[in-house]
Amino acid sequence: MNEFGGVVRVRGLFKEHGQGQGLVRAVDGVDLEVPAGQMLAVMGPSGCGKSTLLHLLGGLERPSDGQVWLAGQRIDTVNERGLARLRRRSVGFVFQAFHLIEELSAAENVELPVLLAGRSARAARRRAAFLLERFGLADRTRHLPWQLSGGQRQRVAIARAMANEPLVLLADEPTGNLDTAATLDVLRIFADLRAAGQTLVVVTHDERVAATADRLVTMRDGMFVDDTQLAGRTGRLDGLIGLED
Amino acid sequence: MGRTLLIFRLVLADVRRHPAQAVMLLVSITAATAMLSLGMSLHGATETLYRQTRAATAGPDFVAFSPGSDRTATSALTSLEHAPEVVAHSGPYRQFSTTLTARGATANVVVQGAGATPGPVDRPLVTSGSWVRPGGVVVERGFANALGVHVGDHVTVAGRSLPIVGIAVTAAYTVYPWAEMGAEGPGDNSGLVWLNEPDTRALVSANLSVTSAIYLKLRDPAATQAFLDSHRASVDPNQTTTHFVTWQFMVVQDSVMLKDSQPILVIGSWLLCFLAIAGVATLAAGRAAKQTRRVGLLKAVGATPGFIAAVLLAEYLTLALLADALGLTAARLAEPALINPTASLITAAAGPTGTTIAVTTIIALAVAALTTLGPTVRALRTETVAALADTAHQPQHRAHLTRISAMLPAPLLLGLRLIARRPGRAILHACNMTATLTAIIALLMLNAQPARGYGLGGSSSLTNLKVDQGRHMMLAVTAALIILAVINTITITWTTAQEARPTMAIARTLGATPGQITAGLSVAQLLPTLPGALAGIPMGITLCLIFSAGDVTWPPAWLLFTAALAALPATAALTAVPARIAARKSVAQTLSAEAT
Amino acid sequence: MQDAVLAMLAKEPSHGYQLRARLRRVLGPLGESMNAGQVYVTLARLERAGLVVCERVDGLPDRPDRKVYALTSAGQQRVAAWLTEVGWPKPDLAEFHLKLAAAAAARLADPVELVDAQRRELLRRLGEAQRALLAEPDGSTAGLLLEGVALRLQADLRWLEACERVWSRAGYESEGG
Repeated sequence: MNEFGGVVRVRGLFKEHGQGQGLVRAVDGVDLEVPAGQMLAVMGPSGCGKSTLLHLLGGLERPSDGQVWLAGQRIDTVNERGLARLRRRSVGFVFQAFHLIEELSAAENVELPVLLAGRSARAARRRAAFLLERFGLADRTRHLPWQLSGGQRQRVAIARAMANEPLVLLADEPTGNLDTAATLDVLRIFADLRAAGQTLVVVTHDERVAATADRLVTMRDGMFVDDTQLAGRTGRLDGLIGLED
Repeated sequence: MGRTLLIFRLVLADVRRHPAQAVMLLVSITAATAMLSLGMSLHGATETLYRQTRAATAGPDFVAFSPGSDRTATSALTSLEHAPEVVAHSGPYRQFSTTLTARGATANVVVQGAGATPGPVDRPLVTSGSWVRPGGVVVERGFANALGVHVGDHVTVAGRSLPIVGIAVTAAYTVYPWAEMGAEGPGDNSGLVWLNEPDTRALVSANLSVTSAIYLKLRDPAATQAFLDSHRASVDPNQTTTHFVTWQFMVVQDSVMLKDSQPILVIGSWLLCFLAIAGVATLAAGRAAKQTRRVGLLKAVGATPGFIAAVLLAEYLTLALLADALGLTAARLAEPALINPTASLITAAAGPTGTTIAVTTIIALAVAALTTLGPTVRALRTETVAALADTAHQPQHRAHLTRISAMLPAPLLLGLRLIARRPGRAILHACNMTATLTAIIALLMLNAQPARGYGLGGSSSLTNLKVDQGRHMMLAVTAALIILAVINTITITWTTAQEARPTMAIARTLGATPGQITAGLSVAQLLPTLPGALAGIPMGITLCLIFSAGDVTWPPAWLLFTAALAALPATAALTAVPARIAARKSVAQTLSAEAT
Repeated sequence: MQDAVLAMLAKEPSHGYQLRARLRRVLGPLGESMNAGQVYVTLARLERAGLVVCERVDGLPDRPDRKVYALTSAGQQRVAAWLTEVGWPKPDLAEFHLKLAAAAAARLADPVELVDAQRRELLRRLGEAQRALLAEPDGSTAGLLLEGVALRLQADLRWLEACERVWSRAGYESEGG
């Protein structure tokens, strides 16, 4: 896909907030490469900088130092307009608080990025209908966010993030506000997307969400302290329960 | 006591935290009350000035004119002085109708013959120079102002150049340019000068139209009409020649000078009140969510609803009262410059009457209460927990607007959806524009009307003071409205931007550029601007037609439409700055603030 | 396993293969690793203990297995007792805890590294459990077992996190102090 073989790549990434005594290094010298089709989980205690890292990857914030490539293109040097276009085409965001637009229906929320990308209203409607159907929300398209359960809202948010077929889906604590059943729904969607070749970066503090990823990096105080490949095993389940004897 | 102190402290803290809002509230209510107070003061102002001038100049209760200066004319007049009701008199004096030229302007003039010492009735007040002396002329102050002449200047009266020895004010004549009160004469606008009696002989020989006049003081100044009714027959059996002017008539005639200004100020103050309400309501609504949270906090620590209402209302009501006081003071200070446009009367401001103070105070308080009562009551009704959680707002779905906007480019799409969020605010903004454009159109209409000058034969070498006064008032009202509209537009844009911040941040994550967000916020204001501004055209025209008598001269249509369309670039410019500032806010910060 | 097989027979006498199918159904994906031999070994042990009797019947030609197992009255008593039992497997954390303490004391290994290695292993297991769970339809009994497995692994991972926090602070000098 590009010379580095990674959809997302960062080198020597730093991000500082505040100044003087209150200076905080949210991201402190991070290198990362996410190959296409990988689901990467980023874990760590709250305040370890994992959300900031995600914002940097999606061009919502600018690094204090270091480089960020998205699909082979440097994005830390691009201006605001360019970043906006990039987000439109290449990045989909999913947040813990869903961040749906409250006065737009589920379908309209999903249509919005398609419209922002300059495509026709008809194309937007078709895309929204397709995605909502795919995520099991065909009967909820006309509902406003407050009429939906948390899990449904997050599924709408994922549909919206997928509206322009982004290169990478960036999810910030996507299950943080959800109960177990809704969490499983979201994880099933992620599994589906990954099976279809979607690159995903999921920031979470939930081990059960992180464990479903192909790879898990652990962050502490703005730095990576661990990087584990989780998938690639046989998929056999022996040893999970002890029924011997 | 402690509670009052606490309320005071809370109010003060809030004002300190939001100084711009307090200033805005103050400015808009001050403008509205000042304008209203002025408008209301105009009504009795002329009479006050006239009475004052009358007292200072021993003004007559009654003036009788008779054409000619021969014995028949004067005997008819002098017969009046023996009437039992008459307590004093001056004259008869001769007055001539001729023309006067000064500094290149020629005007009709009434030359009043005067003794070196004025009689007991009508003792004009000399405001500069001295009273008439041989070879010198005294010019009535209003006339002198219009001509721009001073003591020492020369004027040409009936072809004879004379120095001005003094400038004086009288209550025996109606104000400039209505010195021509006799039954005969050109009946056109005239100024007034006094000439020493011996000097008038030259005028007699010049064969000018002459009238005799006598000034009478009655025992009962209120009974002039009764006196007139009983003596008219005996003085002038044919009732054709003698002409009587009562002081009551002069008051009415003098107040004609302000006739145009009053409705302009009163209607202007209504429009200003409306803009004040629109602005303050936007502010109050913009703060409603925060206010609801604040109420929740106060409730949580055990404040009673009454106490909370006091805290919430105290701020706006106090500011409203302060603004009212400022407005009344401003009106009182501006009054002298407005109520005596001709300077023919002694200038003194009467100050607002009790009624005026009561009305402006009620209106100021009503503006504050009307605009804050809703949010306050809503805040009080919201459950404490819900208020703290800040989840009171349940958005409305406007599918239609959303569907239409889907077909439009991104800035229009975002703008339309912002309007769909708060359609009430768009309407408010449109009304804002209508009110402003109404005034602007009325001003253009007013300026398009031909004004007959006060110079000879309607020459505009001397300004028509009455029309001029009206135009000035209209200009002041329009300027005040424009200032408030500017403040309101900025307030509305800022409030909309603040409220839409989370939504706009989401749009940014979805790939909207800062430019598109800025444009969207501007579009949200621009779309209601156009119909609002266009509606101002018929409104302004209607207002002018209601108050204009007779034929109306129409300004060119393109001028009116240009004025209305100019509202668009003006709004775009005004909204650009707050919208741009709002669009520059960090997306990540906005979203994380939203999530907590 | 013995008690579970006994309880499965309480419903009705069954063939070995029927028993195995039933077990696999209830266990879901986790039962797939269980081989046929395991069930027969267990049944043989139960028979020797007199808890189960085995009868040969004339089966169908295509069923080579002719044995039907049924509970004896002792077996029934054992099942009843098992059902009322409130015993619960004890969490076996002491061993790992001692491992860390010993490694630290003897400076054999860095306990934090041991924790990390263990954590990776548990994460892999959790991943497998979670993926299996995602493949299950909502509300399936087999999913419930996977849910339990995942929750326990999650608890263990959180404990490991606590271990790491303390051991990385304590360094090597601590010896049960």
